[in-house]
Amino acid sequence: MNVRRFLGRKAKDAELAEEIQSHLAHEEDLRAARGVNTEEARRQARVKFGGQNTVRAEEWRYRSLPWVENLWRDLKFVARSLAKTPGFTAIAILVIAVGIGVNTAVFSVINTVLLKPLIFPHQEELVYLMNTSPRGSGPGANIPKFRIWSEQRSIFSKVAGFDFGGAGLNLTGGDKPQQVQGVHVTQQYFSMLGAPVIMGRTFTQAEDAPNGGHVVVLSYALWKSRFGGNSQIVGSTIQLDGQPYLVVGVIGKTFVTDTPTDLYLPFQFDMNSQDQAHYFAVAARLKPGITIGQANAQLKLAADQFRRTYGPMAMGPQDGFGVESLLSVWVGDTRTSLWVLMGAVGFVLLIACANVANLMLVRATGRKRELATRAALGAGRGQIVRQLLTESLTIALSGGLLGLVLGVVGVRLLLPIAQGMPRIGENGSAVTPDWHVLLFTLGVSLLTGILFGLAPAISASRPNLLAALNESSSRSGVGFRSGKLRSALVISEMALALILVIGAALLIRTFMKLEAVDPGYDTRNVLTMSMSISGDRFQKTAGVAQLVKDGTDKLTALPGVTDAAAACCLPLNGAFGLPFDVVGRPKGDAPFTGGAFYDTVSWNYFNTFKIPLLRGRMFAEQDNGAAPGVVIINEAMAKQFWPKGDPLKDRLLIAPGPGPFAEPARQVIGIVGDTHTRSLGLAPEPMMYTPIAQMPDGMTALNSRIAPLMWIVRSKVEPHSLANPMTAALRVASDGLPVAHIRTMDEIVIRNTSQQRFNMLLLTIFGASALLMAAIGIYGLMAYSVQQRTQEMGIRMALGAQASHIRNMVIRQGMILALIGVVIGIAGAFGLTRFLASFLFDVKVWDPLAFIVTPLLLSAVALLAVWVPAERAVRVDPMTALRFE
Amino acid sequence: MGNGKRPPPAGEMLQGTLDMLILRTLVMGPAHGHTIAQVIEHTSERALEVEQGSLYPALHRLEDRGLVSAKWGVSENNRKAKFYQLTAAGRRRLASETSRWRKMTRAIGLILGEQ
Repeated sequence: MNVRRFLGRKAKDAELAEEIQSHLAHEEDLRAARGVNTEEARRQARVKFGGQNTVRAEEWRYRSLPWVENLWRDLKFVARSLAKTPGFTAIAILVIAVGIGVNTAVFSVINTVLLKPLIFPHQEELVYLMNTSPRGSGPGANIPKFRIWSEQRSIFSKVAGFDFGGAGLNLTGGDKPQQVQGVHVTQQYFSMLGAPVIMGRTFTQAEDAPNGGHVVVLSYALWKSRFGGNSQIVGSTIQLDGQPYLVVGVIGKTFVTDTPTDLYLPFQFDMNSQDQAHYFAVAARLKPGITIGQANAQLKLAADQFRRTYGPMAMGPQDGFGVESLLSVWVGDTRTSLWVLMGAVGFVLLIACANVANLMLVRATGRKRELATRAALGAGRGQIVRQLLTESLTIALSGGLLGLVLGVVGVRLLLPIAQGMPRIGENGSAVTPDWHVLLFTLGVSLLTGILFGLAPAISASRPNLLAALNESSSRSGVGFRSGKLRSALVISEMALALILVIGAALLIRTFMKLEAVDPGYDTRNVLTMSMSISGDRFQKTAGVAQLVKDGTDKLTALPGVTDAAAACCLPLNGAFGLPFDVVGRPKGDAPFTGGAFYDTVSWNYFNTFKIPLLRGRMFAEQDNGAAPGVVIINEAMAKQFWPKGDPLKDRLLIAPGPGPFAEPARQVIGIVGDTHTRSLGLAPEPMMYTPIAQMPDGMTALNSRIAPLMWIVRSKVEPHSLANPMTAALRVASDGLPVAHIRTMDEIVIRNTSQQRFNMLLLTIFGASALLMAAIGIYGLMAYSVQQRTQEMGIRMALGAQASHIRNMVIRQGMILALIGVVIGIAGAFGLTRFLASFLFDVKVWDPLAFIVTPLLLSAVALLAVWVPAERAVRVDPMTALRFE
Repeated sequence: MGNGKRPPPAGEMLQGTLDMLILRTLVMGPAHGHTIAQVIEHTSERALEVEQGSLYPALHRLEDRGLVSAKWGVSENNRKAKFYQLTAAGRRRLASETSRWRKMTRAIGLILGEQ
């Protein structure tokens, strides 16, 4: 009603004007009829009618909405006053846009990586089952443990086991075979995590028991991509590793776990198994009201029971069971990293705010007389604050809008360097701006506007009217309060920037150190790919050995290939650990001589990677199942376990004791150079290599089930050009198996350092933008101060002050602020860099180089920023200066 | 500008009266602004002579409240004019206003001892 009246008021006013004209015409007619002449009739009609504008104004007011009017008037005023200073407005908006853009971009990533995975209903009840020991705790389960955990019904409402996709499966039956990730789960997995089932059902208890049949639940992504979202898919069969599997259900799109999953298979455990091999993980849902502490207490009893049942070989006297929050385990890795980033962008935003606040203060000081005049004319304090806040909010929201655009673009730029971060999807497809991001940006913009607008608004709203109005020519009097405030802002900008740049410097040093690490082999011109061999053919060593021989022959025959090999694992991609005994060496109290990583490789593995042989000999093709067992160790293992002796004289018993891995002792035949098993940032760890052809069948069966076979070729040509010929050759050699994860070793190295590269690049960007903004801030303050003091300078020069004296005075003033900021920044950095500790490699958190060079760099930049206004001060012409204003 | 109440413009005290007079005038049939002004002036024996302009805000308020309707037409002088017409709601309002006014004037009359 009111709004309709408000919106139609322009038209109504025009109509009223017309109506008034009509009225006057009728009145004139009346008077003309009485014989009054036209001129006089017109005059009388007007007098009789009264003030036309009064009538129209009254109507106008009647049709107005006061708050819209006020807002509109404020906005128009703000637009006018901002348009008068386009430079100020552009800089302010740009500074805010950069601050908010960076925030939005980083928040988008954090939103995806940190916030979105928290999707499970009542996720605080979900826990990860851990094996505890004095050395720390880790996940991992075998069937006996799973059984005893499942029996803890007083603390757990649901318990489920799951693996991590392992070897992958070959999905056939379509145009092209495809390697897919199949995760094995136990029956309660879906209900425990509250997974939405959009079609069909999940596994029944009977289907998860031995001989429960071949059944599969599809993920949403596979259902869409491979089966085109076929609504009849439930009840049909698909071919996995050549076997028909009945599709019983499809899981919804929102269900995301850390393991990329195409489909789910039931574990079908034999719950009476005594097998002590750990090859899956277990999670549980606590009963409502049960705390982690209560669960741990109960699990202590369970561990004692487990030890009594299976003996000290299965679990040592110091070891036990425990639980940790599932989310902290899943999200934990990246959480610190992302919070550090968030802290860094927060700093950038704060600097941006301080900068704009400074600009606003300068502006407000320049407008002191305008504001005082307005106050003198009756504008209330609230009105002036409102006007200034409208101004800052207008800037903040415009900056926020621009920042949102920058942020969306920025995310796209960020993602290529964010590869390897979990959950961001292929090429970061999972990172999309959603309403969280929009809300976040809006919130940040408003907060920013209030933050940088409030201080100037308050300080401007209490002007001493008389003083301000009298301040006709005495421009030297820049308000003491706002001057101090501005100095404080500049100091904090410098301090924040210094902290960021020191952080960036530490990460740059870390990255340089990582780049300088010798991987232990030649990473160039090596192409790798994985082949899932989970089918029946590869449950025995002979079958795998035949595949390796056929594949190696076919690959070596390809033009451009110099060497080819196969292995269970690649450097940097992790490996299995196994205990070993040195035959004849006393063990004392320990159950084993020691433990080392364990890699099964084909005979040509070391040649292909160019891992140097230090002593003894390499494997030969003849080291097969018929030949005596042999093992090659790396230098780290030789140094650790044979500090004085000669490993080549010894024999190793790998995974001693009964079990599926039992085998006779192996002769150590060679020592090779170290490689990095998990990360370039970790020292090389002890590693033992055995020929694939000599593995015990039990080990082969486990290997084939949990990890794909890796193929490696060294080429004379650009390695990627071999991808298609290799795929084809291996398809022939393996009777039709597909390959996946085609990567060069260089790419694997880059992936391995992707987190560090990402952190370094981001913090460098933040550091650089912070430095730039701080420089702008100090430049702006000094430039303004010089401008305000033009007259003073002119008088000084007229009285004979040296140019160098004036210059030094300005520089001194600026640099004092900068140096105070630097000192505070160094103190702050000392306190804050420890949060970076986990990101550093071979660099101390108080790295002297970073802590010396960075302050110097910052001071140099600050010097440059105050030099320019200082030079301007020197060039002041005394005559002009005296006439200034 | 604050949102506080402005002092009522001169003549607003007579607002209710003016509204009633306008409605009363329109009982005779549709009329345009000038006619309404003339009729009020004459029937009140020029006692209520006001600036004719102040008629229009009152008319438009009545229109907004749905008590009168308006449309453009041609006047007796062959000029374009906006004609106002009483609506059903206007008629009802006039009846209630008239009786309220009568009660009030009688009350005032009693107080002044006129009867």
